[in-house]
Amino acid sequence: MRASAAAEAAGVPSVSLVCSGFVRQGVATGQGVGYDSLALGVLHGHVDTQSLDEMISHLRDATIDQIVAGLTIAPTLDSASAQEPTALETTARGSISEINAHFLANGWSDGLPIIPPTREQVVAFLGPLADDHGRVLGSARPSGREITLWSIAVNAVMTGCDPRHRPLLIAMAEIIADPAYGVEHSGNTTGADALVIVNGRSSADLGFNAGPGALREGAHANTSVGRWLRLYLRNVCGFTAEEHDKATFGNSTRVVLAEDEQALNEIGWDPVSAEFGFARGDNVVSLARMNSGLIIGGAFGATAEALVPYLADGLVRVSGWDLAHIYGLGQGHYRPLLILSPLLARTIAGSGWSKDDLKQALFDQARLPALKFEQLIGDWTNINAGRRSLFELAAAGLVPPVFGESDDPNRLVPIVTAASKFVVAVAGDPNRNSAYVMSNDGPHGDWTAKSFDR
Amino acid sequence: MALQNEPHYDVVWPRSSLAVHKQAAAPRLDTLSGKRIGFLWDYLFRGDELFPVIMDELRSRFVGVEFVGFEAFGNTHGGDETVVMAALPQRLREHRIDAVISGNGC
Repeated sequence: MRASAAAEAAGVPSVSLVCSGFVRQGVATGQGVGYDSLALGVLHGHVDTQSLDEMISHLRDATIDQIVAGLTIAPTLDSASAQEPTALETTARGSISEINAHFLANGWSDGLPIIPPTREQVVAFLGPLADDHGRVLGSARPSGREITLWSIAVNAVMTGCDPRHRPLLIAMAEIIADPAYGVEHSGNTTGADALVIVNGRSSADLGFNAGPGALREGAHANTSVGRWLRLYLRNVCGFTAEEHDKATFGNSTRVVLAEDEQALNEIGWDPVSAEFGFARGDNVVSLARMNSGLIIGGAFGATAEALVPYLADGLVRVSGWDLAHIYGLGQGHYRPLLILSPLLARTIAGSGWSKDDLKQALFDQARLPALKFEQLIGDWTNINAGRRSLFELAAAGLVPPVFGESDDPNRLVPIVTAASKFVVAVAGDPNRNSAYVMSNDGPHGDWTAKSFDR
Repeated sequence: MALQNEPHYDVVWPRSSLAVHKQAAAPRLDTLSGKRIGFLWDYLFRGDELFPVIMDELRSRFVGVEFVGFEAFGNTHGGDETVVMAALPQRLREHRIDAVISGNGC
């Protein structure tokens, strides 16, 4: 729909082909860029589960007429538009249970109880920024709504965020506004939900838990800030089932991952934020959408060399459809995350390894047969248009040469395009020997970081 | 259900104003005969199989209709989507495109 909108803006009439289950989102996406009635050609059912004959038959039966009509008949415009509340306007009045029921009924809640966002509470959350409450940080895609300080604060009050987290939430909103992040993809097929990583000298002071129970609800800062992101995506970016959310399956809201800054300092490793150009100690929030997660439990080994094979195996096992971000949906965008417990990180560093040494070892050992890679992105999923082999893609310069060193389908190929693509974090119970891996969704919620020193 | 003497709250809206201005769609064509149609593709959901069938169907109905393949415009949903989108108006002009068929959203 975004491509069609760009064509229409250039004065070229368009028709967008969408499967029948995508019509509602297609209409909403058009509205988010200012078009109420972009023409659609509806493909019956879902083309990926139809034979070629079935797909062509459906196209000839109905879609082709819709294409012709869409390009030759002016759309009927509905001039009526629903009146929406203004920012400061009271939109409802009631008891806490009545307010919760009202917000649920209107789709403004994530299903958990909310704190009623009164004007006084929102102003108090904004504190010294209250007079600047209307400041616009950018546009929320795909809804086309404004990202304002006021809307950040309203949703922060609802999720029970601490006003001390205001600079952090504003930085997260800046990431949402940043086209490099690609928030508009947050309702795509695989339902990846964003992981928030917090780094910096203020992390512990702000109440973030980096130790036992990391990635689990329980610590107020980690839980409420993670919940704020999910609610903001719903209320301001428009990711509800009625609008832009087309995830087949979602994930529960991810609580914030705070890195163990003390452990990092002790072993001399840089934090995740350093991957994105920040110095150790800088207060930084990083976001990326994550598809799958997998535990690497009870790693056994006294040296880096002994531990890496198991960690590499976990990274391979968590990487499936996501490899389409090597080639297909993304190009060199796949950047999976490895979270080491502080004990494992210390053991690896104790072997004299830097973080870069670890990444290089993972690049060398986290490999799978080329045939399996090609099945994942081409045969089983139909994402590699034209189904060229990795050998052919490497010959064409579309993937690095390491993917095409021979045409043996059983040769081992890496799961990222360079060792630097791995993202390594340190968190969790300091005395346990487990790790966790996550696959990211490439450019559709790409790793983006902002400072919240302000 | 509200309980007796339970506090009541005046609450504000958790959404925000629309930042986009409504735009009119481009003028439609009187016919597809003699026109150039460009295919835009997100490189997903079998566009490469559907587009040839669409071309055959439209050729059978409209005399002189011409087509420009998706290769001329780039992947509209790939890693460089923003670059492709920014370049699209220029590409459409270069190829003298009268209308586009864009797919596939599934």
